[in-house]
Amino acid sequence: MSAMIENLRRMSGRSSDLVERLAGLDSAVQAADGRLDPELVAQGKALVARAGSRLKLSGDHTVVALAGATGSGKSSLFNALTGVDVASVGVRRPTTAEALACSWGPDEAGELLDWLGIPQRNQIDRTKLAGSSPADQGLSGLVLLDLPDHDSVEVSHHIEVERLVQLADVLVWVLDPQKYADAAIHDRFLRPLSTHADIMLVVLNHVDELAADRVDACLSDLRRLLTLDGLDDVPILATSAARGDGLAQLRAAIADRVAQKRYARERLAADVRVTAGRLAEQTGDAAPRDIGAAAGGELLDACADAAGVPVVVRAIESATTQRAQQATGWPVTKWLSRFRSDPLRRLHLDTVTRRSLTGSSDSAVDSASRISRTSIPQPTSVQRARVESAVRAVADNATVGMTRPWATAVRTASTSRLGDFSDALDSAVAGTDLGVAKDPAWWRAVRGVQWALFVVALVGVLWLAALAFFAYLRLPDPRSLDWHGLPVPTLLLIAGVIGGLLVAAVSRVAAGASARRRAQRAGQRLRAAIQRVCADFVVAPMQREMDAYARCRGGLTAALRR
Amino acid sequence: MSTAAVAPDLVSALVRLRATLADCDLPFEAADAPAARIERGNLVKQLDDYIIPRLQQIDAPLLAVVGGSTGAGKSTLVNSIVGAPVSATGVLRPTTRSPVLVHNPADAHWFGSDRLLPDLERTDRATGDQGALQLVGTDQLPPGLAVLDAPDIDSVEQRNRRLATQLLAAADLWLFVTSAARYADQVPWGFLRAAAERSTQVAVVLDRTAPGSVREVGSDLARMMTERGLGDSPLFTVLESPVDEAGLLPAPAVAPIRRWLDSLAADESARGEVVRKTLSGAVASLGARTRLVATALASQEQIAARLRADALRAYADGLAGVDEATQDGSLLRGEVLARWQEFVGTGELLRTLEDRVGRLRDRLFNAARGRPQPAQEVTVAVETGLETLIVEHAESAAERAALAWRTLPAGAALLNAAPGDIGRASRDLRAVAERSVRDWQGAVLDLVRTEGSDRRTTARVLAYGVNGLGVALMVVIFAQTAGVTGAEVGVAGGTAVVGQKVLEAVFGDQAVRELAEQSQRDLHLRVEQLFQQECQRFQDVLDQHTVSAGAAEQLLEAVRNVETARWTSEPSP
Repeated sequence: MSAMIENLRRMSGRSSDLVERLAGLDSAVQAADGRLDPELVAQGKALVARAGSRLKLSGDHTVVALAGATGSGKSSLFNALTGVDVASVGVRRPTTAEALACSWGPDEAGELLDWLGIPQRNQIDRTKLAGSSPADQGLSGLVLLDLPDHDSVEVSHHIEVERLVQLADVLVWVLDPQKYADAAIHDRFLRPLSTHADIMLVVLNHVDELAADRVDACLSDLRRLLTLDGLDDVPILATSAARGDGLAQLRAAIADRVAQKRYARERLAADVRVTAGRLAEQTGDAAPRDIGAAAGGELLDACADAAGVPVVVRAIESATTQRAQQATGWPVTKWLSRFRSDPLRRLHLDTVTRRSLTGSSDSAVDSASRISRTSIPQPTSVQRARVESAVRAVADNATVGMTRPWATAVRTASTSRLGDFSDALDSAVAGTDLGVAKDPAWWRAVRGVQWALFVVALVGVLWLAALAFFAYLRLPDPRSLDWHGLPVPTLLLIAGVIGGLLVAAVSRVAAGASARRRAQRAGQRLRAAIQRVCADFVVAPMQREMDAYARCRGGLTAALRR
Repeated sequence: MSTAAVAPDLVSALVRLRATLADCDLPFEAADAPAARIERGNLVKQLDDYIIPRLQQIDAPLLAVVGGSTGAGKSTLVNSIVGAPVSATGVLRPTTRSPVLVHNPADAHWFGSDRLLPDLERTDRATGDQGALQLVGTDQLPPGLAVLDAPDIDSVEQRNRRLATQLLAAADLWLFVTSAARYADQVPWGFLRAAAERSTQVAVVLDRTAPGSVREVGSDLARMMTERGLGDSPLFTVLESPVDEAGLLPAPAVAPIRRWLDSLAADESARGEVVRKTLSGAVASLGARTRLVATALASQEQIAARLRADALRAYADGLAGVDEATQDGSLLRGEVLARWQEFVGTGELLRTLEDRVGRLRDRLFNAARGRPQPAQEVTVAVETGLETLIVEHAESAAERAALAWRTLPAGAALLNAAPGDIGRASRDLRAVAERSVRDWQGAVLDLVRTEGSDRRTTARVLAYGVNGLGVALMVVIFAQTAGVTGAEVGVAGGTAVVGQKVLEAVFGDQAVRELAEQSQRDLHLRVEQLFQQECQRFQDVLDQHTVSAGAAEQLLEAVRNVETARWTSEPSP
């Protein structure tokens, strides 16, 4: 469809107002597809297609249709205007069964007539017939249609009339003194087309049947009815095909419209106005909002809770503390802590984090396929309910002031992907680098110090043991080493043990702090990952609807601008 | 139907049918509703205006209604038949707005508003009012015949069309006027088809015809009449001729019509035959027409039932969802579990087993730090969890109910007309849910207190504190599966076991089970009540339009009675 619009833009050369309006309507209709009333959307699509094909066809021709009830004298007027007796006139009702077309002018109107669906046998080229008068020169470019009736028992006629009334550029409604107040024409055609007043003419035919003094009364009553229909300014002409009254004026009015060559566009512009107006009614005028900005806070908290972030964060804190103690504890006692299970391993987060370190991507969603499920407990019904409430709240905030169809579209989109949401959240948690894979450097340093102190203590013990052994064998004492009067081996032992315990104690405090820091950092990373999942699963679908809304509004503004 | 054979059975059956029809309402949007509403209105009007009064006064003069298109010359024709300008004529359409009934002065008593067309006010002057019937008595018409000039059936004036339909339905004889320009119009033929279907007696007048085209148009119209089942109806032709200063056509132009009417007026049996045919046709048509209304009414009942069921099901599902979530232990995980473990872990519950000092110290410590009591925190966590559950389930129930309603045009119309957006939970639901969860918690504590007032247990209850036991009871309830407490209650059960043990120690095994069941039922009832209130919003919308159950069946019953009465009162077909 947009290819067609591009084509039209090229053809019209300069930027044409109508083409821009059509482009606006086209994009609005595309955006509204599946969201607004399907009938209206289909109508909009049909209009864009129709307008596209009409604009591609001859712009030099103006299609003028004579429409009216059976017996109002459409065919008589047609014959009078063409000057040839081609349309059959008669007293049997309905007389005209198929639309008849007569074209004037230098250019062939064949293609246009085919588009109008007028069969070849009903097409007349006035210029090829004999007896053209100078008056016909003025009508050059006219395609005059004689339509069947809209009110007889022949329903096929009504359908043909409705089809051609949609396609004609100028509509001439032929009424007569008997039928001018019929509901059939006012309710079905004139009132619904009150938006198309500019392209309409009303003719009161058969005025010869009225007494001369009653013509004005009849005309003013007709004017009253037209005003009630919303057609205040439509020109009314009084004619009599039989007597020839008003024919010159009618011919002049038609010639004037044909010469202006703008009525084809005028008609389409009116159509665009009506359809875009109806769409605008359903669309409303609330400003589109940015969903991303609205989705934060409570939604993120609820998702983090559902994804088990607090559980993971707590696990990281205790696991890090435990590992730090293992790395930095006093070597004599720290083996004891090996019997305690690692909380992260229990959640199956340990292996994953190690692997994700080696992977190049740290994006949770990219690596989702490689990641197995964690053993974080499934979100409970309360947590799920909280997430759904939060999503609903985001949708509610985003759709304040929007019309019902659009608000429904956004709300439906908001929950459209919640089915896979908890899996995605879990993958995001599993795929996040928790920053616990690598042990900090100070752990190794402390471990070195611990081992050094352990060796010192060991040396002291061995030394003391050696001294004891010597004493036991009554061997002479080796020369003892003193330091400030205290024996060195004893000092070594005491310094080693106390130093080890001290270092263990100090690093325990440090480990606690670093575990908290790590947990906090991991919490931030997890929340960032969850935010990305939220963006994909909650915000993106809503944003798509919001973008469509913005496109629809933009298109309608372009289509309806003054 | 002779004058003597006024059938009291038939009349009373018709009166009942009329009352049943008047009572049945078709409030919901459905494909067959608009047509059925119109038919119902027409039926009631025709029974009131024509069938019932006509059956009761079978001797009343024959009423010929002159109807047809605007501009066909009905009023001119009536004036010319009567021979006096009784109805206004003109070129402005529609000319006649208020109907004019012309009758012989001797027949005047037949046309009071108690007898015919009761909802039209009687006047003796011309008015432009569609609610008034102008009565004109003139010697020009023979006794036993009345002519009514009706408004048009096809002008922009909608009230004219409605009134004309009503008047034609009240006619013994239609004088249907059309013109050379009109005779193939769709609208009049719609009326003529209905007349043919109901064997209403019709005479067609082809008015305003140019002398040159009388033959062709006349034969074409006769062909159309035969095709459409009116081959037996008389067809009169009136030439387009200049009117005199009084607006009357020359007498010869309308002479054939006048002659025909006079002969009808003079011949009582011929007149009775016309009346009988039209009346029995009208009565016979009641069956099919009423069944159409009854079918639509039955589908209205179905719509109402389905909408109600949809709303109830959505909320029943929501309630089941809440029940499940409060019983499968999932409520115990997350926040509640953490607070419960804290409560148990800080030892408030267990420490009381060992020493009072510990608890006192804890209390003092917590009070000094400004922290709430752990038991209180569990209560708050339970409250938040339950409230979230209830609100979310109510919200999605409203959504599901609205979605189900929108699949039916009637439901969509009701939702659009409903005050506020009932497709969402009510605005104050969160507050209401919070209050009812609090009430429930209060009731649980009361329960524990009452149970503990027993002498045997008072001391032990005091030892643990009512709050602690209440919390333990809530936790036990949430860990229950289908009312069975025990060890096999899943992941969360493990923690609940502690609470269970403590409760059993205080109250005994059987009492705990009863307590748990009682408070669970209490919770269920409170949530149910809340959901009922929510669901009530849908029901209220539905209850604004009532379709009484069995209305369609009553209608069918009434029409069957009419048919039976008709066959017994009218043995000849």
